[in-house]
Amino acid sequence: MRYPQTLLILLLFFLVEGSLFPWLLPSGWSGKAEISPHFVLIGIIYIAIYRNRHAALVYGLLFGFLQDLIYYGHMLGVHSFSMGLLGYLVGLSFARKRSSLLLTLSFTALAELAYGIMLYGIYRFFNVTDLPLTWILLKNIFPSLLLNLLFGLIIYVPARQFLEGSLRMKQDEEMSVG
Amino acid sequence: MYALFKFMGSKRLFVLLIGVILAVALMGLTLGKREKMTWLEMFASDTVSFAQSLFYKPAGYIAGFFGDIGNLRDIYEENKVLKKRLMDYAKDTARLNALEKQNRELLDALSFTEKQKQENHYVWHVAEAVAVSPDPVYNTTIRINLGSKDGIRENMAVATVDGLIGRIDRVAPFYSTVQLISDILYKDVDFKIDTSKAIAATVKGKDSFGMIESYDNESGYLIMDKIPESDQIAAGDTIITSGLGGVFPAGVVIGTVVSKREGDFGIAYKAYIKPAARFKPGQAIFVIEKPQP
Repeated sequence: MRYPQTLLILLLFFLVEGSLFPWLLPSGWSGKAEISPHFVLIGIIYIAIYRNRHAALVYGLLFGFLQDLIYYGHMLGVHSFSMGLLGYLVGLSFARKRSSLLLTLSFTALAELAYGIMLYGIYRFFNVTDLPLTWILLKNIFPSLLLNLLFGLIIYVPARQFLEGSLRMKQDEEMSVG
Repeated sequence: MYALFKFMGSKRLFVLLIGVILAVALMGLTLGKREKMTWLEMFASDTVSFAQSLFYKPAGYIAGFFGDIGNLRDIYEENKVLKKRLMDYAKDTARLNALEKQNRELLDALSFTEKQKQENHYVWHVAEAVAVSPDPVYNTTIRINLGSKDGIRENMAVATVDGLIGRIDRVAPFYSTVQLISDILYKDVDFKIDTSKAIAATVKGKDSFGMIESYDNESGYLIMDKIPESDQIAAGDTIITSGLGGVFPAGVVIGTVVSKREGDFGIAYKAYIKPAARFKPGQAIFVIEKPQP
């Protein structure tokens, strides 16, 4: 398992999310749509699908907590909880299946949707926001979903090669050991 | 549902439940203001922000390059406006010099103490953003490249050339977090009264009073509350900080009044204010330091 590479790539996603991404958004969009990049989440979902749920859980908790810490505004644990849980659940539903492009993307979209609704639910529960769900869905969750799916599509081939490649390596090792 | 439980096994379900409980407990415990950052948090946030700054700057150059090509046509117009502004600036400077001299003489005549004279001498620190929170609706924070080593303290006002954009939230040695006004005032009141970060505001040129207490995400307007009934505030007025709250310095532009209406209990009035400044990547950011009492 190529742990250091995976960690580095996720870290790169995390850095890009906060520092490179804001430049890419056209300034005319501000006020019309609030787009949140979830590149790390996409990475974690791919890990869940092409590697396993435990790895996804650990990476989700780790990078979610990093995000909680760096952009600490209201409370800790929101993103680590949501990312960890979603990574685990997606991994669980893919436990013994092989995945195609369509299946992967539809699960990514579902997980994105669930992530957005989970964040809203948590912030609503702790009284941080009182915006109506429809507003959040239209202005934040759906636009972000499209953008993040696009990102998922772009990294699909390299991510699959990277993650399945390491899996094949592992199987080869096991075979040679056995 | 039963099949799911069976599939997950009771042990895993147990672990999952414990995880949920721990997460909710963590969120609940850290909700609101914590006193100080731990050294681990400081180290982590400084390191990550350093890495972020490595991305942010080159991205800015590239974005600026493409932006310049796109903006060539606008530059002519912009140049005209800037020349006009420069003229205004020269005019203002001349007026300021005269007023400052007069003010000094008056202060001397009324024998103000040295402390009182220094009260309005703010220090402006120039900062640059290094990262923007990817959670733009609920948690609108940005990170800037000044920290406690540069003399930044919590709660200092943060502005751009257009006006107030937020306040310093947490400070690490080299980087700190800015909470934008779209988040600052929001709902903190419900949990602890003393963490509420309402901004005491007034109208430029009038003797008004009001507290900016919340931000309406749907319309993008700030809501100014507690305006006395007799107040002369009207649509189109420029709202500035009054400095009465003690946290924000006086005289920083906040925005313009859009409308005024009766408040919830019919005693005080409410005004809707369009913020003058909105954070955009690439803008210079100023942290305004108030002299320590």
